Parts: sequence; C-alpha cells; structure tokens
Amino acid sequence: MTEANRTRVLPGLPPQVRRVREPVVAIGVLALLALLPLLFSGYVIYILPQYMLFGVLAMSLALLWGFCGMLSFGQAGFFALGAYTMGLCVQHAGAVGVNAAYLALVISMAAGTAIASAVGYFLFSAGVRDSYFVIVTLALSIIAEQIAVGQSQITGGWNGMFIPRMELSLWRWKFPLDSDASIYYVIVVFVAATYFFLRWITRAKFGKVLAGIRENEDRVLSLGFKVPLYKTATFAISAGLACMAGALYGTHAAFVAPSLAGVLFSTEVVVWVAIAGRSSLLAALLGGIVVSSISNALSAITPQYWQLVLGVLFVLTVAFFRGGIAGAVHRFAAHRGG
Amino acid sequence: MAELLRAEHLTKRFKGLTANDDVEFNILAGEVRCVIGPNGAGKTTFISMISGHLQPSSGRIWFRGEDITRMPVVERARLGIARKFQTPSVFNRLTVYENVELAVLGTGRPSHRREARVREVLELVRLSEQSNRPTVMLSHGQRQWLEVGLLIGNDAELMLLDEPTAGMTAEETHSTGELVRSLARDLSLSAIIIEHDINFIRNLEAPITVLHLGRVLAHGNYDEIARNELVRDSYLGH
Repeated sequence: MTEANRTRVLPGLPPQVRRVREPVVAIGVLALLALLPLLFSGYVIYILPQYMLFGVLAMSLALLWGFCGMLSFGQAGFFALGAYTMGLCVQHAGAVGVNAAYLALVISMAAGTAIASAVGYFLFSAGVRDSYFVIVTLALSIIAEQIAVGQSQITGGWNGMFIPRMELSLWRWKFPLDSDASIYYVIVVFVAATYFFLRWITRAKFGKVLAGIRENEDRVLSLGFKVPLYKTATFAISAGLACMAGALYGTHAAFVAPSLAGVLFSTEVVVWVAIAGRSSLLAALLGGIVVSSISNALSAITPQYWQLVLGVLFVLTVAFFRGGIAGAVHRFAAHRGG
Repeated sequence: MAELLRAEHLTKRFKGLTANDDVEFNILAGEVRCVIGPNGAGKTTFISMISGHLQPSSGRIWFRGEDITRMPVVERARLGIARKFQTPSVFNRLTVYENVELAVLGTGRPSHRREARVREVLELVRLSEQSNRPTVMLSHGQRQWLEVGLLIGNDAELMLLDEPTAGMTAEETHSTGELVRSLARDLSLSAIIIEHDINFIRNLEAPITVLHLGRVLAHGNYDEIARNELVRDSYLGH
C-alpha cells in the first residue's frame, strides 16, 4: 500500500475512491427505486416514498452537518412546516386558480428558506457557532411543535390535520396521484433532483468553501470569504429542501401532527445521518431510507426497546465510527484497494 | 517604493494592561520588516490590530492611503492583508492542493486560470510533490510553508507572519528566510515578521523594530539593534 492510499483512511477525508464511484452507485440506487413498483405492490410501494422523503431530510442535514460542520436539531421543524403548509394550501385551494400543491411546494420552500435566512443571518453574523447553534436549532424544533399544538384553530392542535392527496396538472391536463405507484414516481423524481442538486453545489466553489469552513472557519474568514453569508446560505438551502420534502410527505401521508416537528423526530434524523455517514449525500439518503425502515420494523417487533436499540447503535457509531457506515466502508475499500 | 501600511499612535489597552502603547510603524511595498521583543512585549497584539483581529483602543491604521482602523478581518483580507498564525492555521483534513485552491478561490480568478495558479504557488512553497496528500500528513515545517502558500495564493500584498519558523529545523528556517526574501524581491510582497530566532533575523537583513512592554524601544538594522544598550538590557541581554 502506498503512502497516498493509506492517507485516505482518515475519517471525513473527501476520498478519491468515493468521488469516482458515488454518482454511479447513486444512479444505480435511484434506478432500483424507480423499478420497484414494477416488482412489488401493496404496503412496500405505499410506505417507501415516505422513507425516501426522510432520506431527503437526511441529505438536508448532511449538507449542513457533514459538509459545513453545523449540526442541526431543527430539521424536523422545517419538515413539519412544509407538511402544514401543504395542508393549509390544499384546504384553501378554491381561492386561487393554480394547483394548490404546486403553490404549497413553492411557499414551503420560500418559508423555510426565509426563516432559516433570517435566523441564520443574525446568528452567524453575531459569531454563534458549534454547540450554541445546535441549541438554537433545538429551540426551533420546540417552537415549531408548540405552534402546531397551540394554534389549533389553524393546525388542528393535537388532533393533527388531514391533507388531501395532491394532483399533477399542466394547463388543462390533470393527473391525480391517488394510486401509490403514481405518487411514488413523483417522489423518486424529487429525490433524484435533490440528490443531484446537492451534489452539484457541494462540488462547486460553494462546496469547497463549506469544506474550508468545516475544517477551519477562522482561516476561511482570513482568506477574505464572507463566512456568515456562506453559512446562512447553507442553512437556508437545507431548510428549504427539508420544507419541500415535508410538503410532499404531508400530501403522501395525508396527515400531519405536531410530533412531526418535535425534538424526538429531529433527533432521529441526526441518528440516521450519523449512522449512515454524514460526509456523503448518498449515505445520508440511504440512511434516511434504511434506518427509518428498520426503526419502523423494530418498533413493531419490540415497541418497548426499539429506541434503545437505535440509541445504542448511535452511541457505538459516535464512539467507534465517526464517519458512520460510509466512512467504515470507505476505509475498508481503501485498505483493499491499496 | 510606495508606502503600503502606516500605523499611527497605535494603542491597545486590555482593562488594566496596556499591550501596545503609542506604536508608530510603516512599511513600504516589497519591504520586509521584523518585529522582535521579549514575551509579553505586545508583538502579537500589534499584528492582530493590523490584521483586524483586534481593534485598537486609539490610533489609526492606513493601508495604501485608506483608513482601515475599523475595517473587519474579511475586508482587510480582500485588500491583501494576510496573516499567518502562530500555530499553523490550515485545513488539516483537506489535501495540500485543496488548501491552496481555497485560497485561490478567494481571489475571484476566473476558473480556467485557477489550477495553473495553484500549481505555481505549490511550486513556490516547494509542496508540489505533496499536492495530493492530506495536510495532516505534512511535517510541522511544511505546514508552516503551506500556510505561507495560502497567503500567496490569496494574492496577499502584506503578509503578517507570526513566528513563521517555530518548530522548524535549521535548514527549514534558512529556506524560510530565503523564501520571504525572494517573495519580497521578485513579487514585491511585503512582510512583517515576528520572530524569536535571532539567526533567522540576522540573515533576513531587514529593518528591525524592537517592542518592549508595548512600546517601540528601538528601530534599526541588526547591527544597530545589537549595539543598542537599551535593547541589550531589556531583551538580548538575557
């Protein structure tokens, strides 16, 4: 094994190996997801899109945490904001001439982006970072949950809100997404678009600056980059995506309740991303899909202990595999490849 | 040579302590200057006020005729004032190439000219062969050089080098001196250097400012400083 190869095993290091293979694997995974409705039907095809949207939520956190070094416990708050926005838009659809679901996607993205921009700009300009930022995002989740509970005349409070399934439309053409397979494909397209969008920005100049901020924020500042603007933009993009994913989740699940905004769900997102590997978008996506399905299965088998199992996995990951499964796989590949 | 930077009556007080007291300083384009003094003399405070990491309590700083006294770090960096920190401040988990690339990205060069510039800078700081290695694998001395490379890649006009030879072998220290001199000579890159290594300072053949208890104690070339009674008593004597 050469020196250069050995160096790639460092956790979190952007590895040459993954750079070449990740998009290929990602296209394979997305193609497989697209083929599933041809092979299966029933519950799997009903539930998978929700897990895929959890995958998008996980990628939104990976952008923030893995690429820029900012851990957020507020992603669920944005996800729920998106779901409630979808519900409210569709309920009041009669008032406007356009497709209410399209409007909801645009409004939820705008709302998430605007809130994160405002909060982020003040925090980052004031130099708030690391664990202080984590605490503020934790508060965001709690605030979102409290509003969902408290403003019951709008949100339905603890009873939650029922949301009709969206339909696709283009001028006079209308296509309802009532069948599981039809909405499944819409969500696969959304997942793919999100993945390639995030991949693009993380590899562009923007992403290189983020990596610099993650590694050494003061140095990036001293090189003349407006760090608060980069961090605000990252938080805003992450929040906007989480909101859009939430809007689609709302219309797919046909229901949203305050717990979707809560700290508990936010923590689950962090667990998915930590276990799967935060410095890879694909790992985060798969983490959102696979870990959330496993949690779901576990909760059916052992309702008392499943959170304990997940918690232990999380602790093990943090203690022994800082790069998560993706980091471990990559380390293994580097050893073999060397 | 045109005046690059001027500091007038620069004073910095931390509660009861006066870290810099009425310091006067100026440097020309392409000039190298050393700042020496015992620990606690206020050297790093002085550099920090020029880089913008500290705000002076009173006094003014001019860069190319512009008053930058209240300008934030990031904007001074854009003007070309670049600082090397006492402990190397680089991107440890990025490769050497990616480190310099980030510095070059900060200059707003068009993308097709970036790679050539990165290669050129790596050549200057003798890290071309390490370009694909993660920075954490470099020796301490190489990390110091990489940080100088970041300043060059960022199109610095004035480098503030806080103990650039700390932790270096004698040979590395010597080449660092050569590097700083050649950058000043060939690229007209100015440098203010804080150092303890007296041989390094002598070899630089640059004007020296001696700080003591926050004040400018003496100013001159190496021989003048070495002969100065005050300096010998307060600094060189022990």
